[in-house]
Amino acid sequence: MNRERITRWLVSGPPFVFMVVFFVLPALIMVVASFRFPGEHGGLAPMFENGTWQFTLETYQFFFSDFIYTEIFLKSFLIAGLTTVICIAMAYPVALLITRVPKRFRDVMILLVVLPFASNFLIRVYAWMIILGPQSAFSIAINSVVTAFGFEPVTLLFSPFAVIVGMVYVHLPFMVLPLYTNLEKHDPILLDAAQDLGANAWKRFWKVTWPLSLPGVYAGSALVFIPVLGMFAVPDILGGTGDILIGNLIKEQFLGTRDWPFGSMLSIMLTLAVLAIAALAMRFSRKSLSYA
Amino acid sequence: MKTSFTTEAQRHRGFMKKLFSVSLCLCGGFLFFLFTNTAYARDELHLYNWNNYISDDTVARFEQSCRCKLVQDYYSDNEEMLAKLAAGASGYDLIVPTGNAVESLIKSKQLRPINKQLLPNLRNIDPAYLNTAFDPGNRYSVPYAYTITLIGYNAQKMRELDLPTDTWAVIFEPKYLKKLKGRVTVLDSQRELMAAALKYLGYSANDTDEAHWRRARDLIIRAKPYWAAFNASSYIKELTIGNIWLAHGYSNDMFQAQLDAKNAGRPFTIAYATPKEGAVLALDSMVLHQTGPRPDLAHRFINFMLEGKNSAELTNLIGSGNPNRDAMHHIDLAIAANKAVFPTPEIQTRLEMLKDLDRNQRRVLSRIWTEIKVR
Repeated sequence: MNRERITRWLVSGPPFVFMVVFFVLPALIMVVASFRFPGEHGGLAPMFENGTWQFTLETYQFFFSDFIYTEIFLKSFLIAGLTTVICIAMAYPVALLITRVPKRFRDVMILLVVLPFASNFLIRVYAWMIILGPQSAFSIAINSVVTAFGFEPVTLLFSPFAVIVGMVYVHLPFMVLPLYTNLEKHDPILLDAAQDLGANAWKRFWKVTWPLSLPGVYAGSALVFIPVLGMFAVPDILGGTGDILIGNLIKEQFLGTRDWPFGSMLSIMLTLAVLAIAALAMRFSRKSLSYA
Repeated sequence: MKTSFTTEAQRHRGFMKKLFSVSLCLCGGFLFFLFTNTAYARDELHLYNWNNYISDDTVARFEQSCRCKLVQDYYSDNEEMLAKLAAGASGYDLIVPTGNAVESLIKSKQLRPINKQLLPNLRNIDPAYLNTAFDPGNRYSVPYAYTITLIGYNAQKMRELDLPTDTWAVIFEPKYLKKLKGRVTVLDSQRELMAAALKYLGYSANDTDEAHWRRARDLIIRAKPYWAAFNASSYIKELTIGNIWLAHGYSNDMFQAQLDAKNAGRPFTIAYATPKEGAVLALDSMVLHQTGPRPDLAHRFINFMLEGKNSAELTNLIGSGNPNRDAMHHIDLAIAANKAVFPTPEIQTRLEMLKDLDRNQRRVLSRIWTEIKVR
């Protein structure tokens, strides 16, 4: 009994300590920082000065005094949601295809899905600058179609469209992989049974495959939605004059403005939002698991 | 062939042997690396510098003259450097920040005073760049090079469209911008863009009156629909390939764009000019960080960089402005004659160095900046 407990601590102890040191403590530091004053030259003002503790709610007041920051949060959620939906729509057929091809192709296809990770993320985003640039074959082709229908030519680069394209491109593998792992486990006999009972292809997908794959969809969505919410590099590089997301706003507080309390406070808001979503997703996925 | 029938155990033993020898090699290599590294560590100067802000030839000559190694670490803007230092980065002997960042570093007591007796070449510096507002009496800083924030443009396009190239109006006035829709980028920097707008409105770049800031904000928001992006990193490339025809940016970046377009044999040329309303002059200075272990080598480096020839090498490489009078003899004639790099005395009076803002001003400006980005 005692030995079992020791083993349990030996196994779970290191990751536990790791989480406390590198997640819980920094999060607490951030919470404290959000109640402090910004330092005159960046960083934070001293916590104890002139005989009193220097804490304030000013930063929180500042956030809620103007709808503009909430607006950026809402917009980021919208972009993250849109990216997730597009990722699901694009990744699902790919994942299905991988499960249906013969085994020897399967490994190659998975390798192809993971292959983009072999080159640096920023370089891949910069590559999109060239693809979407006004002189690229892609832009010229699209604009020849658009102008043929009598519309003004469109600019693809430096637009919300470019931001979404970049986000989807970067996060697509994170959707394909969990979907594939889920779909791979489905028993083909279920589909045969459905067919025997008279279900057509669409019904077989909608009534059998889709509900069974929901845990994979939720896992993939979490892996896409959460990173997109905090992303600042893609809008920085591909976005136009109005494409500012929470990530950019937070980055700006630590660099341009040197306002650590406000940056910390925004990060806390983001973390809370992400936790709320994760909790919701977990609830949903449990429910659907119990269905399965 | 008996050997082909190896048992599982034998194979395992063979694998373990291989693993052992591989790890031995790795350990050996690591120890070797450690030793060679410590052998160097005796005479190393750590320079925290802008990207591409010193010529390789200069580095080689300095290393030869001091029999030491110059180790560089890089940043791409002052804020990044300040944030890294505020987060506790240490061990840099020398940094090359811009004036307002020098001010911030002095006030937060992160710098070591310089010893002018070790810097006989200090007399080469043009007095116009000494005794600045951010460091009166140059107790902590020695000028290195400067850039001017100005406009760069596609000369052919601007001529075709009959647009002026000597005023901020072309960046801010819809009557000009409508010919340039989607072909303009401005710097993604609160201070720089506000300074340009303030200058155009006839205020100082260091104006901190909130009403003036709001007027500048309105000017920017009115012009924004015509701009392609806020861009601080890729406008050189975009100008060079002809996607962008007008950019708000730094003089040495425009120098680079001009050179790139020429080398690529583009059918157009990139030119740049300081708007007549005035602009921001960013003077980068060498400063000693408190945590640097080798102030002796750092002084040697500063004095070395104050020699005209060494200082000129940087200007010839990146087209930076040069506060060193002795350097003028060594600078390429084309650069020396370029009014956007070496401004006329008349323009010079309208150039301003940015001052650091206090925390409340920074917060107000940040809010205005967010409004600009969202609206």
